[in-house]
Amino acid sequence: MNPTGRLVEILLKIPDNTAYTALVALRRLGVDVSRVERGVLRFFDEEEPVEELIVRIQSDETIFNPNVHRLRLRDGAAPDSGEVWIESLDETVPAVAWRLFDSRERPLSEPALRAAAERLLCNPSIDKAIVGSTGT
Amino acid sequence: MNRRIAVLVFPGTNSEDETVRVLRDCGGDAELVWWSQAQQLAQYDAYVLAGGFAHEDRIRAGAIAAHDPMMDAVIEGAAAGKPILGVCNGAQILLEAGLVPGTGAVGRPTAAFTKNLPAPHFVCRHVTMRLAIRPSRCAITAALEPGALIPAWAAHAEGRLAAPPEALAEVVAGDHVAFVYAHPDGRVDDHAVPNGSALRCAGLVNLAGNVLAIMPHPERDAWNFNHLEHSDRGDVLSPSGGARLFRSFVEAVSSA
Repeated sequence: MNPTGRLVEILLKIPDNTAYTALVALRRLGVDVSRVERGVLRFFDEEEPVEELIVRIQSDETIFNPNVHRLRLRDGAAPDSGEVWIESLDETVPAVAWRLFDSRERPLSEPALRAAAERLLCNPSIDKAIVGSTGT
Repeated sequence: MNRRIAVLVFPGTNSEDETVRVLRDCGGDAELVWWSQAQQLAQYDAYVLAGGFAHEDRIRAGAIAAHDPMMDAVIEGAAAGKPILGVCNGAQILLEAGLVPGTGAVGRPTAAFTKNLPAPHFVCRHVTMRLAIRPSRCAITAALEPGALIPAWAAHAEGRLAAPPEALAEVVAGDHVAFVYAHPDGRVDDHAVPNGSALRCAGLVNLAGNVLAIMPHPERDAWNFNHLEHSDRGDVLSPSGGARLFRSFVEAVSSA
């Protein structure tokens, strides 16, 4: 991950079947989770104005389809509370941000996120998991 | 009574019919077991995880299927010494379940068949797998000759063995690389590898030798009609085709 670039998250605005599948599997694996969100993270080095960057991403059909995607500019280069980032060790695939919520729509605790990563979301032989700190 | 082989069908498996057929043509008593029939799996003597895209490869290839209720019986069967073969997506599932190379705890993968390199694209290419272990090291290869060459089709986007260097060292030290990619004449070099796989690996075996995971599809080069070396057509097994591996598997099931 490039810590100095501009971070953009690309999310689905249609139902996310992968997130739903992850939700069902995580429950089976004993993680107490009620909702899962997922977004693909992409860093951009360019220092171009934000408006121009957004237009450029939205016109790149290889990563963005306006019929199914929305994008979100992110502050900082670290996961939020309740969020775990799964990064490919050899950077062959973009990082994925997972957000997990409990039945009261609260972000899952750091230990629960670590469990989710260890049991399903991260294969440590090819990925690393970065867990957002609780309370940040 | 014949020993029974279950060919597992997850949502998204797509090579189950030809897998059952090649096993039957090799003398095996094979049948499909669907994901809704997981409770029946314990009755079987051996398991084959066929190719496809189980659960649409969501999260990672094999990641969801590795935790499917069907895998409970497979994991128990592996511990009990039942022969288990995974082909392509089946191999990815076995790695995600930690059954091969099996150098860590079950459910905690220590390696992966992941995105091809140098380009992370789907590869469809005829390949040759060369047996890289003593045949008797793995029950499923025990009826093959040393250095046996098995023709097959590589058809995957995520077939590259990848793991940290220390994990790969364990794979080598434990003699877990069962098959490497080779040229049709048996020479082994990087040009024969279709996907950038570490150790030129095409297949991994567990320590006990009863679980084998191979990325290419030998069932797609098994009969005369789909075997490259034969000009005549026919639906009989080709003597030099990929069915040799399934015949060896069936022998392993019979003697297990």
